[in-house]
Amino acid sequence: MSDHQAPEPHETNDLAPVDTPVPWRRVHPVSPLVRGWLAVVAIAFVYGQNTLSSFFGDEEPTPGPEMVSEAPLMLSLLIGAGVLVLILLGFFLSWRFTKYQITERHVNVNSGIVFRQQRQARIDRVQSIDIAQPLVARIFGLAELRFDVADSGSAAMNLAFVKLSEAHQLRNEILARAAGLKDPAAPAPLTEPAPGHGTGIETPPEAPQPAAAQGLGASERVVAAVPVGRLIGSILLRPSTMIMIAGLIGLGIGMSMFEGFAPFYLLPAFLGMAGALWNNLNTGYNFKAAASADGLRLSYGLLDTRHQTVPPGRVAAIKVSAPFFWRKLGWYKVAVNVAGIGGAGNEAQERSVLLPVGSYEDVLAVLSVVLPDPGVEAPREFFASAINGAGTTAGFVVSPTKIRPLSPLAYKRQGYALTDTALVARNGALHRTLAIVPHARTQGLMLRQGPLARRFGVLDLSLATISGPVSPLVHQLDVAVGRELFLEQADRAAAARKQTDSNHWLGDA
Amino acid sequence: MPQEPIDPAGIHWTRVSPSYTKVRLVGWGIGALLTLLALCAPLVLHLTGVWEGFPLWLAIVIPGLMLLIDIIRMVLIPRQVAAIGYAEREDDLLVRHGLMFQKVLVVPYGRMQFIDVAVGPIDRMLGLCKVKLHTAAADATADIPGLPLSEGTRLREALAARGESRLAGL
Repeated sequence: MSDHQAPEPHETNDLAPVDTPVPWRRVHPVSPLVRGWLAVVAIAFVYGQNTLSSFFGDEEPTPGPEMVSEAPLMLSLLIGAGVLVLILLGFFLSWRFTKYQITERHVNVNSGIVFRQQRQARIDRVQSIDIAQPLVARIFGLAELRFDVADSGSAAMNLAFVKLSEAHQLRNEILARAAGLKDPAAPAPLTEPAPGHGTGIETPPEAPQPAAAQGLGASERVVAAVPVGRLIGSILLRPSTMIMIAGLIGLGIGMSMFEGFAPFYLLPAFLGMAGALWNNLNTGYNFKAAASADGLRLSYGLLDTRHQTVPPGRVAAIKVSAPFFWRKLGWYKVAVNVAGIGGAGNEAQERSVLLPVGSYEDVLAVLSVVLPDPGVEAPREFFASAINGAGTTAGFVVSPTKIRPLSPLAYKRQGYALTDTALVARNGALHRTLAIVPHARTQGLMLRQGPLARRFGVLDLSLATISGPVSPLVHQLDVAVGRELFLEQADRAAAARKQTDSNHWLGDA
Repeated sequence: MPQEPIDPAGIHWTRVSPSYTKVRLVGWGIGALLTLLALCAPLVLHLTGVWEGFPLWLAIVIPGLMLLIDIIRMVLIPRQVAAIGYAEREDDLLVRHGLMFQKVLVVPYGRMQFIDVAVGPIDRMLGLCKVKLHTAAADATADIPGLPLSEGTRLREALAARGESRLAGL
């Protein structure tokens, strides 16, 4: 990110304690090993196997081992040790050359041995900070900080690895600055500090830090958690899982028709399926959503754990969905579009989930954090009819009845409702979805109409948001209604925009 | 002008230059020529006796159908160009496209991330350009082709100025 206009820290005088240069700090010495352990193990394994097998005279282990097999054990051990030393030296240099610095306005990370890289991110543009702990890092008690900046999505900054406690402390510090708390002594929490039965993980260590950061980090209240049983149930009841299982069975039957069939032929299919299921389980395991002053804090993971914060001011669109097989159980899923996470890729998908599976109460609790002001009198009743209702209750405008031949099931449900702060679009009869787009976050609106829709006198209105899992759409609206809504909504968005300044997290909601 | 049933009421659209039709026609011509040539290959092979097995009627029908579709597309081009329009409102820019599949887009100036002005080779010959307004949302990219260069430059400056004064971050 190039910030030519961004003033240098020492030139500004509204931030008092900047004048002293901030010291550069180093990441934990074990970091390169944590990142590169797989390579080390692989090299050691291959080399060790080659050396040993050739030395102990197995017949012709690999092509071209003459040199190794003729060399005495001592020499090959020396070579092995040499390689190891080289790798360790590389690790050491890599650690030596990685430095970070957190100033009042920027986060700087320098890295690279030969090709040096200096990356700087403006703190008020940092969208969110995740704390990730891959399995090996967890063993060492280390964690990685990942910064998301608005436009890149993929090339976000990361800082790997620091001690877990230090990671939490750094995050709180940066969040406090990013949230626009210019005076570190100012009272931080905007929401009521919870009478905390926090998880304990967020509690900063004994290290001294600004009071504001302490306040931001400490007050946190778990609003929703996913029990393991429900998670497993939800994974099994997903259409994708059911299709996978059915496909596997079908494949098995199909293959058993042929002669010479052996069950292990199905192994690749099994592995693929197990991998997908495992991925769902791993990222949903021990899922906790907690309300804190800086937004919704999520933590999850079985082997790789992750802590992530979703600030309400950065949420561009929210989707509540009720898949067909979950409905009897009263389960819902909540996902959001957040700037910086991006839309494509597995990881982005996982990270935009606010609640993998939860009850209606959980949904409301999560919504109350990311959408603090829904703009309706009775949110509970409103969202109940928004998610599961049909017809024109709760102020919904639905598709005209003439559309019935096109959408025989959904025509009564698909429609929109306006609250003071957001547009709510309801869709689907079997797989029910609800998209919420705050007026102040509307990026644009689009009307579309194809030949068939023209014959029925309807059109689709889609609301543009930043990329993510939610693509809000008001389906098959009457032409007259749609045309009117289009300009009205554009004006409403403009009016809402004027009232908010979204450059700081806590300034808007 | 065909009727515009989905356009919001009370909007005065500025139309793009009619000579943009030529740009579209050249693009259409190249595309049509290449696909037709490719689809004629079985016919040529059959006639030269390399691939006797390919049924003659199919070898004729496929390029024939393609030719028909191409001609229909060509006839539609002038009307499609006439259907492109844009309107500058106080806080946002409206763009409309399409005849069969109509699309009306509104993009607030404050959401603008950057503006492209692109000039292709044929655009250059005709003194045209294409203005593209990008927002953080991938599907809210306003695309106005076929503007005269002077109008394109004016629009870019105007949009940039309004974007600045109505900056809304993300």
